Amino acid sequence: MTDLLNALMGNFNPGFIIILAGVLCTLTASHQIRKALVLLAPIAAGILISVQFNAPEVIGGIWHVGPLKLTTLRIDSLAIVWGYIFCLAGVLNAIFGLHEKCKITDSSALIYMGAAVAAVFAGDLITLFVFWELTAISSVFLIWKGGEGAFAAGIRYLAYHVLSGVLLLGGAVLYGHANGGDYSFNYIGLDAPGAWLILLGMGIKVGFPFLHNWIQDAYPKATVTGTVILSVFTTKLALYALARGFPGTELLIYIGAVMTCFPVFFAVIENDLRKVLAYSLNNQLGFMVCGIGIGSQLAMNGVAGQVIAHVIFKSLLFMSMGAVLHRVGTAKASELGGLFRSMPITAVFCLIGAGSIAAFPLLAGFVTKSMIISSAIEHAHGSPVMWAVVMMLLFASAGVMEHSGIKVPHFTFFSHDGGHRVKEAPWNMLVAMGLAAALCIFMAFPFGGYQFLYSLLPYEVDYHPYTGDHIVFQLQLLFAAMFAFAFLKRKGLYPDERRAEILDFDWTHRKLGRSLAGWMNAMWARLGANAAHVRDIAVDGAGARLHRMFSPAGAFSDASPSGLPVLLTAIMLVFAIIVTFVAGA
Amino acid sequence: MPDNQTGHHSDHHPDRPSDSSPEGLALIHPYARPFLFLGKESVKRNFIWLPVIGLIAMVILGYFFPPKHPAPWDFFGSWAVIGFAAYSVVVLSANPLFKLLGREEGYYGEGEVPVIDPAILAEGKIDAEINDD
Repeated sequence: MTDLLNALMGNFNPGFIIILAGVLCTLTASHQIRKALVLLAPIAAGILISVQFNAPEVIGGIWHVGPLKLTTLRIDSLAIVWGYIFCLAGVLNAIFGLHEKCKITDSSALIYMGAAVAAVFAGDLITLFVFWELTAISSVFLIWKGGEGAFAAGIRYLAYHVLSGVLLLGGAVLYGHANGGDYSFNYIGLDAPGAWLILLGMGIKVGFPFLHNWIQDAYPKATVTGTVILSVFTTKLALYALARGFPGTELLIYIGAVMTCFPVFFAVIENDLRKVLAYSLNNQLGFMVCGIGIGSQLAMNGVAGQVIAHVIFKSLLFMSMGAVLHRVGTAKASELGGLFRSMPITAVFCLIGAGSIAAFPLLAGFVTKSMIISSAIEHAHGSPVMWAVVMMLLFASAGVMEHSGIKVPHFTFFSHDGGHRVKEAPWNMLVAMGLAAALCIFMAFPFGGYQFLYSLLPYEVDYHPYTGDHIVFQLQLLFAAMFAFAFLKRKGLYPDERRAEILDFDWTHRKLGRSLAGWMNAMWARLGANAAHVRDIAVDGAGARLHRMFSPAGAFSDASPSGLPVLLTAIMLVFAIIVTFVAGA
Repeated sequence: MPDNQTGHHSDHHPDRPSDSSPEGLALIHPYARPFLFLGKESVKRNFIWLPVIGLIAMVILGYFFPPKHPAPWDFFGSWAVIGFAAYSVVVLSANPLFKLLGREEGYYGEGEVPVIDPAILAEGKIDAEINDD
């Protein structure tokens, strides 16, 4: 059976199955058929991946397009991690969205997911670019389905991602040209031609500082299920691309460290809890970017492990906030509170997600995030700059505890009673959250759990998470953060949640840039009006002069001495001779 | 300023019957009823003892399990100090940051909240009869 499947589809990128299912979704009006496709397509793709991956590196699906050689299938120990987790997330998302009857969401979610899987298994930069752009174009519908308020955010999202793709393509062309037409997607490094363009393109998609705003702008405005789906694929695809093209690039260590810290300050004052989670996403991506920058085997294993864990626990947190939004109609902290009375099961799942992201022992993040921090500590010996990076990562770990570990569950389910008495989340949402919560526990389980996670990682792992010092010092950090929360709350120093729009760097284009564009538009209109006025005066004046000269009643019709025309003719003749002479010379 | 914009300090919502009354209890999810004590002010105030005990235990255990790769700043209980200080810095920065960066909702002139189908929301609301069993 396996051999038959391999013979039939051995060269077939598994992402194509999901994309095909998405196209079929657009053609069917039956809600049941669409949901079956949404659920079964990622399962089928996952099975195909496991069948195809029968060698350390599988290359297939080679197409020749003119002078280009496209490798549409390359599976190796790095890509397989992303391939499996994308398929698993696809199944969880499908279950979470079973209640939703929307053809656009179903089909765009599938095409988006399929494009992400296909991009991960792309063997060359041109194939990567094609699916890179397809992820952007297909996913924007998930944002637009969020309502009228999401339209502008969707346009900005599209602009960011199309720009990212264009930069990637530009860099790829320079890179491929310099390599004699070889566009293979392997290690690139910053010294290669076009590398900076490629890095910038990937940086937009992974949310580098100052390029991150599309995440907090678009994700909270998408539909309940849309946000969960969006949180999985785009940024993780970009992480994969960085891990493939730029491992061990020192610059990424510092970019990643900054990424871990700055979102913490925005998350603490943000009122929309889905936006808080979007900042938290940025913060977690920072840990992984930092790990890619370190580039050691331990760090890369930590990155791959953290991608798996992060997809699960971040989905779980977004799902729990989605369930709250679905039932209450808002995810604003100022409006929520006390929901454990109505949604106790969702509250427990949210707490498991919060504990995982905060890296509590026995929950997913404890194993994976600590691999990255340990690799940073190993890397830091003898380097004061790297110790500063380690300190930033520890600071960010306490920050994660604040915004995702405490703030999100506290203001939603505990805190003051917001007075909402609603039903528990629909059964399908509970099943999806329950599976994600179980995975969060399983991936950190000391007896066979994290060992299974290790078996998926790209390199041999020699890291033991449950050592006495690791447990003790991690708990010191987390208990101290919890104590600080309780202490500041008791002293009235913990700020109340307030409704507001929090400005971020996107102010530069949403307000300043827009104002500048408006001012330039007004100036242009004014310039146009003045230019038209000047032109009218000039044309009218010239017309009047010509009329006065050449009309039957004009000056040239007057009787004049014959010497004047002769003189004029002579001057013109001299001018013509000079021009002819100069041209001839 | 309405209460819900500043945060409440009393747990009981004024528009709802008390959780301990039969009408109030009927609105509570059956699984949550044994845990209603979590909403009590005294429980919330005394929550602080949980991290205090945990913290003391971990700091003591830190003496017996020294770090394998000590950082230059490591001292007895250093991770606890880092955790407390980092968390406090983040939280105490909130007010000045809010003054600097906070603007009224709708500042950008765009809708900010996803439109949820009112029918879905109505379906999610419960009344006493639904959860009475």
